[in-house]
Amino acid sequence: MGYFINNTAFLSFDPLSVFFLAVIGLVSFPSAIYSIGYLKDHYSPQKIALGWALFIAFVLSMALVVTVKNAFLFLIAWELMSLVSYFLVVFDTEHEKSIKAGAIYIVMTHIGTAFIIAAILIMFKYAHSFDFPALKEACLAMPPGIKNLIFILFLIGFGTKAGIVPLHIWLPYAHPQAPSHISSLMSGVMIKTAIYGIIRFVIMILGVGSLWWGSAILVIASISCLVGVIYALMEHDIKRLLAYHSVENIGIILLGVGASMVFMKLNMPIPAVFAMIAGLYHLINHALFKGLLFLGAGSVYKATGKRNMEKMGGLIKAMPWTAATFLVGAMAISALPPLNGFVSEWLTLQAFFMGLAGGTIGVKIFMGALAGVLALTGGLAAACFVKAFGITFLAMPRSKNAAEAKESPFSMKFAMVFLAALTIIFGLAAAPIIKILTGVSGSALAIDTANINFTLNNFIITPQGAGNIYLSPLIAGMALIFIGAATAATLYFALGKSKVVINKTWDCGYYKLNSRNEYTATAFSKPFRIAFDFFLLPYRKTEKIWDSFYHTKSFTYEVYTTPVFKQYIYEPALRAILKIANKMKKIQSGSMHLYIFYIFITILTLIIFMDRF
Amino acid sequence: MQLLLTGVLFMAFVMVISKRVSALIHGFRAQSFFLFLTALYIAMLNNNAEIYIVAGLLFAIKVVAIPYILSRIVRRIKVEEGAGLFINPTLSVFIAVLLTYLSYLFTGRVMPDAGRSQSAAVIISLSVTLIGLFLMMSRMKAVSQIIGLLVMENGLFLIAMASAGGMPFFVEIAVFFDIFVCVVILGMFVYRINKLFTHINVSKLQELKG
Amino acid sequence: MKILIIIIQVAVLTAIAPLISGIIRKIKNNIRMRRGTSVFQPYYNLAKLFAKNEVVSENASWIFRVTPFVVIASAIFALSLVPLVNAGNNVNYAGDILLIMFTLMLGRFFLALSGLDTGSAFGGMGSSREMFISSLVEPAMMISIFVVAANASSTNQYLIAARGHVSFSAIVAGIALLMVTIAETSRIPVDNQETHLELTMIHEAMVLEYSGRSLALIELASHIKQIVFFTILANVIFPIGAGLAVYVVKILMISAMIGVIEISIAKMRLFRAVDFLTFSLVLSMAALVISAAGL
Repeated sequence: MGYFINNTAFLSFDPLSVFFLAVIGLVSFPSAIYSIGYLKDHYSPQKIALGWALFIAFVLSMALVVTVKNAFLFLIAWELMSLVSYFLVVFDTEHEKSIKAGAIYIVMTHIGTAFIIAAILIMFKYAHSFDFPALKEACLAMPPGIKNLIFILFLIGFGTKAGIVPLHIWLPYAHPQAPSHISSLMSGVMIKTAIYGIIRFVIMILGVGSLWWGSAILVIASISCLVGVIYALMEHDIKRLLAYHSVENIGIILLGVGASMVFMKLNMPIPAVFAMIAGLYHLINHALFKGLLFLGAGSVYKATGKRNMEKMGGLIKAMPWTAATFLVGAMAISALPPLNGFVSEWLTLQAFFMGLAGGTIGVKIFMGALAGVLALTGGLAAACFVKAFGITFLAMPRSKNAAEAKESPFSMKFAMVFLAALTIIFGLAAAPIIKILTGVSGSALAIDTANINFTLNNFIITPQGAGNIYLSPLIAGMALIFIGAATAATLYFALGKSKVVINKTWDCGYYKLNSRNEYTATAFSKPFRIAFDFFLLPYRKTEKIWDSFYHTKSFTYEVYTTPVFKQYIYEPALRAILKIANKMKKIQSGSMHLYIFYIFITILTLIIFMDRF
Repeated sequence: MQLLLTGVLFMAFVMVISKRVSALIHGFRAQSFFLFLTALYIAMLNNNAEIYIVAGLLFAIKVVAIPYILSRIVRRIKVEEGAGLFINPTLSVFIAVLLTYLSYLFTGRVMPDAGRSQSAAVIISLSVTLIGLFLMMSRMKAVSQIIGLLVMENGLFLIAMASAGGMPFFVEIAVFFDIFVCVVILGMFVYRINKLFTHINVSKLQELKG
Repeated sequence: MKILIIIIQVAVLTAIAPLISGIIRKIKNNIRMRRGTSVFQPYYNLAKLFAKNEVVSENASWIFRVTPFVVIASAIFALSLVPLVNAGNNVNYAGDILLIMFTLMLGRFFLALSGLDTGSAFGGMGSSREMFISSLVEPAMMISIFVVAANASSTNQYLIAARGHVSFSAIVAGIALLMVTIAETSRIPVDNQETHLELTMIHEAMVLEYSGRSLALIELASHIKQIVFFTILANVIFPIGAGLAVYVVKILMISAMIGVIEISIAKMRLFRAVDFLTFSLVLSMAALVISAAGL
């Protein structure tokens, strides 16, 4: 047993663990409160009790993942987290979709776990212990080839859980299918444990081996950003749209982490710390606003019974609280100042800028291009959330359910307002938070941060020392509000109260404008579909029914995009596996004796060839 | 000691040859009895109260209770006497001898500098385990699978006894309990199979494959 | 003192912002051999709109009412951050050049939302196209700004403006940014401010439902946004010379350039505009490579 668990305390509370614990706490608290209202009337009392039990188990398992300091226990906690979240994904057992999503999820997550186990076992072979300090010591003397191998194994293993492209395939199925407060935990926190894994195992234990590690993460991250946001634009199921945005945001977080690894290797400690701060900051921000958005989507789902945006509309009048908090989340994820998403994207851009100002030629070009990728991602994300918010909450209701929607109960409103407030606070109070994160990222990178300070006082962020580059979200926010208010006041006092006439929307004299005339989500995303058609490969089906030569009675138009990763990577792989399995089926004869014979042969072989192992 | 161990091995060979189910059960009872004697002998050598208890349990469960339950099942479901061999007895014995030789080789490799009596004990227990597995494999009737499993357990017990003076007391007790429950459950299972298929020939389970 | 400088700067530039639009229109008309309206026409338009009643759609929510103020606030805030004539005199109070870009995004986000808010198909179409164009503009804009910022080793707009020389990479980046400016200020060949034809309008479709005071605010914000971009081009990308006169000359030159471009190119259809923007992206990447090479 000594191999597995040291007799001393097995939990560690170093800054990184505490940081992740804080993230878990900040999102699970409102989610718990939210679930009071959400589960009520939706499920039977037994199911609600089961839901609570699973919820608690889920939160505890995540807390365990980020605190244990023994790789063996880490694997157990990791597996526990995967299993509990699987049960939560299939919580609505009556939906066939849930079962399917659960199956995809559990297969993918176990493939990922297999890679993590392989990596940890290789490390164990060198360290003869599972304790983190012993592993770390052993990694110092490891040959570079093995290090590279372990890094790739970890990247695939944790990448599967994080949902980086092309391993993201499970994420848009599994996250939306769980009950909404669980979706918010899964998207907000669970996928972040993979980031924890990468920081803990790759950066802290394994140590950054060579420059291409960071570059590989940066490339994968930028692909994840773009693919995630483009798919999100095409998506009209509001929860799946949010799930695709998780792919995008994991990409942004990894941009920070990857840049930090590159800077470490280039021997630029201050930019490394700064890039890590950017990644961690975006991590916590994403946890907050994505949690908020999923809760908002759940609120909409509860009110309308639908997840398809094309059937919503006009909800801002029936559900003002949900709409307002969702708007805060949408603004944050679109990186609009002065909210938190903006601050962390700004930090990430500044990290790239440090590379641009101080690296070699290759690094300069690379970092500049990454800044372009991040900017494009931000622009597309803003477009996507104009769509998500505009089609869901604005204009006229597009279905009966949407027209009859009611605002959610107090517990749900409270949770959403709580997260919205945190989203705003984490934007405005950026400077103190960066001070805290400096310590966290310093401890993660083993850099002494006592003399590193990225803030001027408690309001101003200065990445490159006093007065040079700076940003103060607080001042910016106050200035924006002040200018807006001053304009309104000036107009009021100079010209009097505005005389407003309420009338119909201009309809070119049609006079029967209804929700069918509104712009749809499909139409909204059409320019993007055409511009990115080389990747999305859209196709459409139209069907016309004529009732005379001149007049069509009905016309249906459906547009699809080709799921490239599913069609060109996963399905061929699946077919190959099934083909092999069919061939393998012959050994399964059904005869018990034959099975015992297999065991027998195995044991004999092991006995005979035992020398070799 | 040597004599008792040889008895255990010999009964394993007897079981390999025996064609009828009742003979198998008798063989198992005899083997367990020899095992009991071995345990008693070791207990006397070490003067250890725990091993006395273990030996007593062994006698109660493996020599008395399990054979009784099994023969009751056999009588109850009126199984026809033939045990249904896949491999004929001569060849079976030959294979059993080969297995013993293999375990001899294996033991020599694992513990090259063990004493004669100890290595003999390990060789015998290992071969008993393998023969148990072989029994499971080569017989058709479901009852013989149970017995094969029990024989394997006997072998494992012997390994533990011979090499380490028995497993920790509680583990031993738990294993006994396990075995006992296992036999009861399997007995029920066999009974069910019989009711469903009107025979207990496991080779008929082939149709269950995917 | 700082605050005073900023307030003066905002007040002066806000006051002359519509004039720039008027001048560009005058230049275009003169080249076309027309007399055209007075350069003060934008002021007359604004005055007329401020005096009028508003018509608000019955479908609209509070988003529609709040948007004009958000848009004007973001535009004026951006204006307060750009370096005017006091290059080198660092009066930066809230953020760097990246903040200017993100702030303009804030206004656009709300405009696009209010385009959807009234339930009119025109508004939806406008916001869809506007977001499409603006998201494709982002990378070129970001990289061009990064290039000039890298030449100054700072993203603080005042320090960039104070670097005193214009390198080769800055010129290339400046051309890319000029193309971005054309797209961002809804000018030919990407958009056309002067038409209300359903097939072509982008920005105008989005604000179609606005009237009266709200429309006046939005138009004023567009003028301000235009002068923000011109000032970035004039002072941040090409920081040659100092003083108000030089600034005025530079702004006039940029206006003339825009005017000439507008009358010499036909408006592209939406998906050709993508090629236009891709070209600006390629230019900015070229600028990045040149700047990395140290030129």
